[in-house]
Amino acid sequence: MIRMTVRQFRLPALAGAVALVLAGAYLLRLGADIRAEPDPARLPDRYAQTMLFLAGGFALVPALIGAFWGAPLVARELEQGTHRLAWNQSVPRRRWLAVKLAVLSAAAALVAGVLGALLTWAAAPVDRVAGDRFSTVLFGARGVAPAGYAVFALVLGVVAGLVLRRTLPAMAVVFLAVVVVQLAVPNLLRPHYLPPERVTVPMTAETVNRARNLGSITGSPVVGGLDVPGAWVTDISPLRTADGRQLSDAAFGTCFRDPPRTGATGTFGDTAVCLGGLDLHVDLAYQPNRRFWAFQWIELALHLGAAGLLAAFGLWHVRRRAG
Amino acid sequence: MHPPLALHAERLTKRYGRRTALADCDLSVPRGHVVGLVGPNGAGKSTLLQLACGLTAPTSGSLTVLGSPPAADAAHLARVGFVAQDTPVYASLTVAEHLRMGAWLNPSWDAALARRRVAEVGLDPAQKAGRLSGGQRAQLALALAAAKRPELLILDEPAAALDPLARREFMHGLAGFVRELGAGAVLSSHLLGDVAQVCDHLVVLCAARVQVAGPVTDLLATHRRAAAAPAGAEVVWAEPGRVVVRGPAVRDDAPVTLEELVLAYLSRAAARPAVIR
Repeated sequence: MIRMTVRQFRLPALAGAVALVLAGAYLLRLGADIRAEPDPARLPDRYAQTMLFLAGGFALVPALIGAFWGAPLVARELEQGTHRLAWNQSVPRRRWLAVKLAVLSAAAALVAGVLGALLTWAAAPVDRVAGDRFSTVLFGARGVAPAGYAVFALVLGVVAGLVLRRTLPAMAVVFLAVVVVQLAVPNLLRPHYLPPERVTVPMTAETVNRARNLGSITGSPVVGGLDVPGAWVTDISPLRTADGRQLSDAAFGTCFRDPPRTGATGTFGDTAVCLGGLDLHVDLAYQPNRRFWAFQWIELALHLGAAGLLAAFGLWHVRRRAG
Repeated sequence: MHPPLALHAERLTKRYGRRTALADCDLSVPRGHVVGLVGPNGAGKSTLLQLACGLTAPTSGSLTVLGSPPAADAAHLARVGFVAQDTPVYASLTVAEHLRMGAWLNPSWDAALARRRVAEVGLDPAQKAGRLSGGQRAQLALALAAAKRPELLILDEPAAALDPLARREFMHGLAGFVRELGAGAVLSSHLLGDVAQVCDHLVVLCAARVQVAGPVTDLLATHRRAAAAPAGAEVVWAEPGRVVVRGPAVRDDAPVTLEELVLAYLSRAAARPAVIR
């Protein structure tokens, strides 16, 4: 059954191998270029965009694996009727599916794992200086987690193909679903893998000016983009007054629209000075960078666990589904 | 103890949504026979055969194949060879690769038989299966199913897609092949002519029910054509000038042909689908 799986997987595997070699060659070249940079301090400036771009592209790898390797695997057999040939060989259906899942999962983990390792290596000097590999976007393009994404996407694809029985709809559904998961996990789940550490930051005029944005969303005045050195900030509370209550919208509005003129410079000018005078603070939740690898393993385990559950469902379903 | 039957169905029912494909079928087919399963399109033939090879599960009732539930495990799968309707094969694999696949997936694979069979029917091992004609594809599918050395071969309308010449050739080859394998076989067709030349046991399926089943010789011996319905005999079907009856022979009766017999049962089922058991 393993040989049969490999034989049928030959073309998709070849396409994957070509893509892997091309991407790998590019990453090796990029790693060499980065290491040739004489002044490491300039690395983040020069490569920050590239790193974001690569992480974004890399996030599509699991979706592609799920759609092009996973979804057609069973759906095409059902569509072309060849499952009636395959399921009447002396291999019970469940084993037929289990072997296919195992072989393709290994291939998916290999591709994503190798690409992830190469990208991690290439980006290492930049990450060392920038210290932001724990950030929402870059985290998924580093370390061991990508292998988990790929296996999860693959199994999701196979099971979707099995349930939907049509290749194209299964491909579309899986591609979308994987992208949604890739967006949901970093924003909704990952901040909570371990209890975050908390810190209260006084909002002096200077701190306000360090923020990336400032505004009022549905009546709660918020600042965005505050950093904690050496950590991934997962949550920023609204602006709070000294007694811990949320700053009233009216007070915020006054400072925002009509602050006393002081001639102050800085990102937010007079508004920052005005807010700075109100004795405000925000509460930050953050995950320190030393938890990076713990989070990597948790993320890997989470995706492999989800893949395992999906596979169990698929094996149950293939036994009872009608031909 | 008797060896288990090739097929044994008890009150076998299969519904697809509201449509009933098989209703309360009882059927016993002994081993070692070539069984023809005939009936019009939509009679439930494919459903019965798909149930028999485990591709689908019954709604209610029971079915055993060679004494076990269909496709019970790897060992049981090895004992039953199935050629599905439209004889699916992998378009991108060559004939030779199909044989290799058979060897990989079946412990009881008879490679010499498969190679010989493929050569006999003139298939080029290097040819992609997707470029074979319908008849060639059917031959490949049959070779794959047979080289498992199964005890029972199940063929679902294997000749349906073939032109009349290829159909006769296929059926002719099939008969000799099944005899050589020493296996039992069940083959379905909507044309009695297809199966009449090879089968020694007949099952007539119509309107989701088994209308009549038995060895061909017994069926021919117990049915008669009469000019008018005689007293005491069961009338299968009567039409002006011709009556097919079941029961002991009476003077003036004529022997019935297999075709007349099948037609009589099909006509009866078509005329009174709801009443016939």
